[in-house]
Amino acid sequence: MKKYMKYSAFAIVAVLLLAIAGCGKDNSDGAGGKDEFPKKAITLISPTSAGGGTDAAARALAADVEKHLGQPVGVVNKPGGSGSVGMTEGANANPDGYTATMVIAELTMLEHMGVSSLNQDQMKAVAMINLDPAALTVPADAPYDTLDGFIAYAKAHPGELNVGNAGSGSIWHVAAESLAKNAGIELNHVPFEGAAPAVTALVGGHVDAVTVSPAEVKTHLDAGTLKTLAVMSDKRSDIIPDVPTFTEAGLESETIATWRGITVPKDTPDEIVAILEDAFLKAAKEENFQKFMSSNGLGIELKSSKEFTSFMDENYNYYKEMFAELGLSGK
Amino acid sequence: MNLLLEGLVNVFQWEVLLFLTFGTILGIIIGSLPGLTSTMGVALMLPLTFGMEPVPGILLLIGVYFGSVYGGSLTAILINTPGTPASAATVMDGYPLTQKGQAHKALTISTLSCAIGGIISVLVLILVAPQLASFALKFSAPESFALALFGLSIVSSIAGKSIVKGLMAGTLGLLIATIGLDPIGGFPRFTFGMPEMTTGIGFIPIMIGLFALSEAFKSMEDIFVEKRVNVVIEKVKLKWVEFKGLIGTILRSAGIGTFTGMIPGAGADIAAFVAYNEAKRFAKNKDEFGKGDMRGVAAPEAAGNSVTGGAMIPLLTLGIPGDAVTAVLLGALMVQGLQPGPMLFESNGPIVYTLFVGMLLANVLLLVFGLLGIRFFTKVLLIPKTILTPLIIMLCVVGAYSLGNNYFDVVVMFIAGVVGYFFKKFEIPASPVILGLILGPMMESNLRRALVMSQGDLSIFYTRPITVVLLSIAVITLFTPLFTKKIMKNS
Repeated sequence: MKKYMKYSAFAIVAVLLLAIAGCGKDNSDGAGGKDEFPKKAITLISPTSAGGGTDAAARALAADVEKHLGQPVGVVNKPGGSGSVGMTEGANANPDGYTATMVIAELTMLEHMGVSSLNQDQMKAVAMINLDPAALTVPADAPYDTLDGFIAYAKAHPGELNVGNAGSGSIWHVAAESLAKNAGIELNHVPFEGAAPAVTALVGGHVDAVTVSPAEVKTHLDAGTLKTLAVMSDKRSDIIPDVPTFTEAGLESETIATWRGITVPKDTPDEIVAILEDAFLKAAKEENFQKFMSSNGLGIELKSSKEFTSFMDENYNYYKEMFAELGLSGK
Repeated sequence: MNLLLEGLVNVFQWEVLLFLTFGTILGIIIGSLPGLTSTMGVALMLPLTFGMEPVPGILLLIGVYFGSVYGGSLTAILINTPGTPASAATVMDGYPLTQKGQAHKALTISTLSCAIGGIISVLVLILVAPQLASFALKFSAPESFALALFGLSIVSSIAGKSIVKGLMAGTLGLLIATIGLDPIGGFPRFTFGMPEMTTGIGFIPIMIGLFALSEAFKSMEDIFVEKRVNVVIEKVKLKWVEFKGLIGTILRSAGIGTFTGMIPGAGADIAAFVAYNEAKRFAKNKDEFGKGDMRGVAAPEAAGNSVTGGAMIPLLTLGIPGDAVTAVLLGALMVQGLQPGPMLFESNGPIVYTLFVGMLLANVLLLVFGLLGIRFFTKVLLIPKTILTPLIIMLCVVGAYSLGNNYFDVVVMFIAGVVGYFFKKFEIPASPVILGLILGPMMESNLRRALVMSQGDLSIFYTRPITVVLLSIAVITLFTPLFTKKIMKNS
């Protein structure tokens, strides 16, 4: 017993010495200039619960960005309020670059939904990482094979087509409403708790179509139970390159998409933002992360801090109009 | 059959066995800590598997999943603290058994039921998965509504002495469940402008508060009176005769669990409550339920663990995740290049059957670790209350916080703890509150979704066979206790 205690005492002293030595190294290395950021571990807030696509992407990205920052990056889940809980905390964090947030498309929608007063102006954009457009998907045995066919059927049967979405006011609901508006058709919108249950209902034949991302229906497209008619974006999706965009299929449409990116509190110094932007964009371009995203069917779309800022502003203004028009506004 | 043998050979490689064992043990630990759910455990281990081979990687996650469902019942039985929602029903008879000094027996029953339930569900998965999968697809909003209503009707059988008090508690649960964003309209309800409340009050902090914290408060009452150990542990082992009496309950509950697991949106928590109710319905002598009936432990445990195999059925055969854990597993499979769906069995047959054998083995490992561990687990009861009580309170706080990393959940947990304490004083049962909280949102959103789908036509509830059957069972369940009481009074 005594022997073990001696050993463990040794071990503890050794670990402590190592730790002290480690600290010393850090200090001497980062003695001068702005290069010293980051000096300690960085926290990346994921505004969704563990297990979802946002969380998985955040964790994969965090693991890859560590190399470029030279410091560990820990993911913390702060779910709730359509992402408003975690993103608000990220916006109110110390503006020192040590707390970053994986923001989601809802950042530009929450204010219009009346859920929270949070918007993109309270954050500083670092980089956009991912974008997945909405796509119109129907059962494989549906009587139409094109967007035109779908629209013609809907015109002949007004209000009869049940279109599943991921919840009232969710991005996929906006997508279906926008389709109805642009095509001048009447659809019956059925909200589900997230995209997965909506897709399940479509596979089971309980709804007639869904407007979710290609990634979320990929399994069933491969299995041949569902077919995607068109993608709501200005360019085709990498996952289903054979499927036309809405414009190609003959219906003018805005890009409606879910996206994810990295932000920091708005008072964070620009030098620090630049370091983070560089590191995150580098990590996102690496094979490791690319492989993770493609195997999960998630589209990669990189935008610099500047591009991401104007992208979010455009989104914000578009949804403001859209929500008011659809009467979804919570205010 | 050849594929199964091949799978057997593939599993018995040291790397696979090591990760499966590691996953199972880790799962048991995660499950036994309140606030750490199965989903969280699997999600946290997920990035670790990215760099691994498919078989050890997936089996590590499966070990965590299976282990955590079992682990939750350890603390439920020993210290009245359900580690996961799946073991909320186990508390009702598990803890009373411990109070009677029969913790050893209760844990043995729980371990055996878990393992048997788990193995049965995996066998069902192996043998008839494709046939059952199409049935799971028949479940839509009206069916899910009927199932939730049936689940709620169980309140009348878990209410304990007073049905009125049970109904009051159930209603309280339903009321709390209305807080947050309206599931169909997306309009915030009773949120008082607080962003934390928009997603509603989570049932896990409430569960921790109602069961664990209130029990800790109660034990503070006599903390200075009773210096010695809180309960005597009798070394009563489970007798063969007793186990034989439980086999029927275990098999029935395993069936219920596997079936519930298959249905999208229904998980181990609901299965456990339903199985408990059915165990009581089939029992000749119902008086002991709620006071430490062995069947009251066997039923929820077997059902809770057999959900695991059931949930794999739609996941593997259709690529449809029935709950949050299987959604994470879906991601894990895709990263490994295994695309779940009808093609999986053809394109990756050997790997799929290796996973099947691994799942069976995970359940055997549960049995081994569970039975070996009982002696050590029960030592928790030897800790004097002066130390155990503060420890439990600390666990409650840490558990509630770790759920979403925010203090709001801790506050909710404390309020629930105080309410739970008065519940105990006034003999109001706590389980109906949890039942209402779990099933309220499921019932509401599916009722309204069904009506959206049918455009307001009520016939959707009586023209679909599964819905009609479930609704009839619900009505029967709700009113049986009332009639039996009347009949008993008359005779």
